[in-house]
Order: sequence, then structure tokens, then C-alpha cells
Amino acid sequence: MTPAVYFDGLSTRPIWVEVWREDAVLHWRTADRQRAWQASLASMEPSARVTGLPFVLHLADGAHLQIEHDQMPADWFPGHHRLEKLVDWLERRWMAALAGVVVVVVSLLALFEYGVPWAADRVADHLPHALESSMGRQSLTALEGRVLLPTHLSAERQTHLQAVFWHFALGMPGLGDVRLKFYSAPMIGANAFALPDGTIVFTDQLASALPDDEAFIAVIAHELGHQVHHHMLRQVLRNSGAFIVAGMMMGDVTSMGGITAGIPLFLINSHYSRTFEEDADGFAFAALSRQDIDPVAFVHMMQALQRSHPESKDQAAERYVMSHPLNADRIGRAEAASLAFKARHGAGAAVQAKK
Amino acid sequence: MHHETMASGIYLPELDVPAADLTDRSRRLEFRGNARDYFRIWIVNVALSLVTLGIYSAWATVRTRRYMYASTALADTPFEYLARPLPILRGRLLTALIFALYALAGHVSRPVQLGAALVVGLFMPWMIVKSLMFRARYSSWRGLRFHFTQDYAGAYQWYLLTYLLLAVPMVLVIVLSAGGHALVGLLLAFAAFTGIYPWIKGNQQQWMIEHHHFGGKSFRFKGQLSNYYAIYIKAVGIAIVAFLACAALFGALAVSALKGHLQGFNPKAPPIWFIASAYLVMAPAYLAVWTYAHKAMTNQMYNQAQLGSYRFHSTLAYWPLLGIYLSNAVVVLCTLGLAWPWARIRLARYRAANLEIIGGGDLNDFVRDAFSHGEVGAAATEMDSLLGIDIGL
Repeated sequence: MTPAVYFDGLSTRPIWVEVWREDAVLHWRTADRQRAWQASLASMEPSARVTGLPFVLHLADGAHLQIEHDQMPADWFPGHHRLEKLVDWLERRWMAALAGVVVVVVSLLALFEYGVPWAADRVADHLPHALESSMGRQSLTALEGRVLLPTHLSAERQTHLQAVFWHFALGMPGLGDVRLKFYSAPMIGANAFALPDGTIVFTDQLASALPDDEAFIAVIAHELGHQVHHHMLRQVLRNSGAFIVAGMMMGDVTSMGGITAGIPLFLINSHYSRTFEEDADGFAFAALSRQDIDPVAFVHMMQALQRSHPESKDQAAERYVMSHPLNADRIGRAEAASLAFKARHGAGAAVQAKK
Repeated sequence: MHHETMASGIYLPELDVPAADLTDRSRRLEFRGNARDYFRIWIVNVALSLVTLGIYSAWATVRTRRYMYASTALADTPFEYLARPLPILRGRLLTALIFALYALAGHVSRPVQLGAALVVGLFMPWMIVKSLMFRARYSSWRGLRFHFTQDYAGAYQWYLLTYLLLAVPMVLVIVLSAGGHALVGLLLAFAAFTGIYPWIKGNQQQWMIEHHHFGGKSFRFKGQLSNYYAIYIKAVGIAIVAFLACAALFGALAVSALKGHLQGFNPKAPPIWFIASAYLVMAPAYLAVWTYAHKAMTNQMYNQAQLGSYRFHSTLAYWPLLGIYLSNAVVVLCTLGLAWPWARIRLARYRAANLEIIGGGDLNDFVRDAFSHGEVGAAATEMDSLLGIDIGL
């Protein structure tokens, strides 16, 4: 006999009973044997097993039997909650909990490193181009007049840079619809960025900090890389994806979620933009090589910008460097690209010499 | 833990109360869960949710909530959480979709996003009602379910229309600062704000409590509006003290850290560590204020509520609660979230230990009521917890 508490579903009065099973029927009665009840096992709906919690056997009429945890014979409801039985088995084991920690860490890494970017890129592939254009226009309208002011570059300087730009851009097949726009931007200083509709925004401050045309082309090649690979749209989708996934995960954690979610999300987003920067660099190196410019021009441009403002009042030039940090990795890749370029050119020159 | 659903009054004629034993007895809620068990349950369920790309998360939610409910006992009987996973999963998918559309809309067109925000705002009171209904319906004790009657008009009145009143002081500020009386405008707006906000909050609480029912009785609420003014005036005082103290501390630290290389410091573009530590110092100040408002409002809610012949007595205290929140935050951050179950259990234990039900009866006089309740969708509840909207509980 198993002790239990019976609630008739009509009131909150508890009735202490003893339960026993006869074949497929459950019987229970009060200790003084004054009252007795019965019901078939098939008509009852037991709650799933959870560590430390009492079992609740729901009857069809709204009544229920409450049996203390670990006191219900396992063979009463063998076919119920098969999945949750397995989960319960795991939940009772410290080894499973430890494995759980590992699984959580690994799958979180995998989710944010591969899962979210993969899904976001698939979505990006299927979004109509009109959406991307309207996104670009929306960003530009938001910035124009507030952050981006009319350019102060002289007309001839503009014409010259546009000519250099088009010469470089036309040499690249499959570039799509691109254009270059100059703005004076005292607030953001020396910077250049690609908008999803094909506009490359170039600030006066950056234009005046560049040592030569090759440096200009290096910046342009990098930004075209963002353009060709649809980085802005993909970045937006990835960030929103990470935001939604994290939001869903924190859903249960409401009170503290807001504070703790912010920091990892910031790190994840800057991680995504770092991979995009690498992508754009790769594109730039290849594009520069193809047009017979040594990719090392890129490093020279960055170094020139860094040199141009050693603790000077010209903080503006720093901005482009800050958003595109020149670390050893980046220099290494540029130099590797440069070596490959030289090797290819050296070989090409040698072949031509032989002819 | 949502023992908040058990607030409340009478809507069916009182059944005859047993004449014997009319001396008041006090029964404390008891929390029986422990961090070791809950940690294992939590981590296994989180791992399974991640591995199944979120599909299992609905089952995980049901299991972890069941643990919290069933670990809370009143008069030796645990509460029960009865929701099914599938409606929760549906709600979750719907929420994710709405959220995704909203997040994307902001990048495509500002008006579309504004429109979406407006629509969500218009639906918010409706969602609050739905989510309260869902929670009440799937919380039960001794075989009887809680019930929340739908009152959309009331929800729109107290969760939307009255907030529009708050726009009046805002307009006042703009008009007066345009006229050159910025300070007067600010003071007037502050006065108007402190006049309106506690009134809204008090009425929201009353509305919420009075629409809950249990066991053939409705919860009643005898609110004193002046109590709410006292709460919010104190909260403002604490806010001023806490933010000044934290700002002074931060200022002192920043000055000593910057000593020597102050000329390299650009106030327009402060370095990352400066911003990060500013947040780090302000977070406790925010927590200090929030804890006070939360503690005072929770006590107020229970202490003014009544269910049949039973009263409630909530004794949450400021310093112990703030201590729990602060240490929870520090430990959870330091363990990268692994201590979350421990933090949750601790809080639940403290909250349960500080809630009493007082009355002359033996708690056996609740009966199944005549309402037949339909199934309530989980979407609204999920939406609520995702958007982080605190319904003032």
C-alpha cells in the first residue's frame, strides 16, 4: 500500500488515503476504511517524474492523487512520458550535468560561430535586392545633413578621385551598381564605409589624410570588398539573429537577462564584423594584385594614417584606424599577399624576358 | 516563481465558514527546492534545448517551472504548474517571428518600424490580459486552478490610456523650455509626473488583483493610494542618494586612474574601459532603486489583498533583498551564468519565507467554481517574458 493524498477536485480539502493496485485498476481508501474509490490506470494521467517532486495522478473528473516522490511503484505507468523519463534519468546524474556544461559551451560557440551566420547568409541570399537598396537609402537619409555634411573638397580633387575610382572599379567585372560619394563629417572624422545599395561614403577628413592615389585605391578596394560580399546586409541579419536567439534564450531569465545579455552580444557582434573585415581585406588584396598594385599598399596606407597623428590635434585620422585596427595578423596577411603578388609578377616578368 | 497569481476577494456568495476555530492562524509559504537538484535539471534542459535548436525548449520550460512551482508549498501542499509544452512552443515561434520582423524593419524603413512599435503598443494591454489568464489557468493548488477574468477595457484603461496622461508633463516641458522657462517646466513636469505615476501603478495593482479568483472566491483589494505616493517619493530619494554616491565613487576612481595622463583623455571619445566602468558603477545604483520599488510594491500588493476570509502578509525587507540581488548578480557574472540556478533558488526561498497567509479557516473551504475556462494561448506570456515587460508584480 502506498500513502497518498486525495483531492476530489471540488474543494481544497485533503483526504489522506492508501493506494494499491489490482491489475489495471487503482484502489484507494481512507485509513478508517469508511470511504473508498477506484479508477482504471488507463483513465489516469500521471505527471512526469522530476527529482524531488511529488507525483500527481490526474483523474478524468478533475480529482487527483498526490503521491510522494519515489513512493510510486515504477510499474504503474510504464508507457507514459517516455521522453521525460530519459530526461529525468539524465537530470539525476552529476556526470550528465557535467556533460551538459560541455554541451552548452560547445553548442553556444557553434551556434554563434556557424549557426547564426549560416542562417543569416541564407536569408540574405533570398532577400530581394530592392530591400537592400532601401536599407542603404534609409541609412544615408538618416546620416545626411546630421552626420554627413556637404563636402569641402575642391571640384578638381573630386573629379580626380572619381576618375581613379572608376578606373579601378571598371577593371573589376561583376561589381554591380556602385557609386562613390564624398561628405564632410566632422563628427566621425576620417572614415569610409559601404552602404548596402552600392554607395561608398568617403569623408573629406580621410581624403585629406591619404598620402597618395595608391592609398586611396587601397581603401576603395577594401570597401568594394564589403560591397561585393553584401557585408552590411549580412551584418544586420547576423546581429539581429544573434539578438533574437539570445533574447529567446534569456526569455526564462527575464530579470537579469537584460544586463548579462548585453556584454556577450557586443562581443559576438564585433566578432562578426572582424570576420567581415578579413573578408574585405582578402578581396582587396586580390583586386589590387589583379590591377598590378602590390597589396602592401594597404599596409602603407594604414601606417601612413597612423603616423599622421602621433598625439597631434588631428584626431580625425585615427578613426579609420580605430575601426580597422592594424594588428600583426592583418599585416601578416597583407605581406603574404604581397609576396604571392611579387612571386607571380617576378615569374611573369621572367617568362616575358625569356620570350 | 509566480505566487503573484495568488493575490485577492469574493465573487460567489460566501459559503458557510465553519463556526469552530475562528482564531487567526498564520501559514508561511515553504520553499523546498535545493540548488543541487535544480542545477542538474536546469543544465540538462538547457543543453537539450540547444542541441535540438530550441524545439525542446518548451519542454524544458515546463520542467523547470514545474520544479519551482512544486517546490513551493502552502500548508504542506505544493503548487502545480499545468501548462503543456506545445502551446508554449507555438507561442515562442510566433514571438521570434514578430521580433525578427521588427528588428529588420528598423533597417529598411523607419516609418515601418514605428508602425510596428505602435501596433505592438496597441496590443500590449491585450497581451497582458492573455498572459495573466495563461499563468492563472495553469497554476493550481490542491486540484483547483486559479482564474483571471478577462477585462480588456480595464487593461486598456490602466496599461495604455493613463500612460497617455504622462505625455502632458512632457509637452509642458517642451512648451516652457521653448518659452525660456526650462527650469520651471522641469519642476512642473516632475511634480505632474510624481502626481500621476503612483496613481497609475496603484490602480494597475488593484485591477490585477481584483480580477484573480481562486476556489470560488475572488481576490479583493483595499488599496490606499497614499501608500503608493510614499513608495515612489522614497524611491526618488533613494535614486538621488544612490546615483550621487555611485557617481562620486566613480569620479574618485576615474580621477586617480587618469592622474598623470589626463591630457590624453578625450571627453568626446572616452576609451572603452571608461564607458565599461561607468556602467559597472551605475548598475548597483540602478539595482538599489529597482529593488526598493519592487520590494515595496510586492509588499503593498499582498498586504492589501484578501481572499475570502484570508489575508496575506508579505515581509520582504530592503537590505536582505538588495544583498541577495547584488550577490546573485556578482556570482552569476563570475561563474559565466552557471550559478543561475543557485541564485534563483535563493531568491525563491527568501520570497517564500516572507509570505504568510493569515485566516481563521483551515484552507479547506475553497471550492471549484462554475467557470468553465477555455484553453489560453501561450503566445502572449512568451511575448511578455521576451520583451522583458514587467507587469508590475
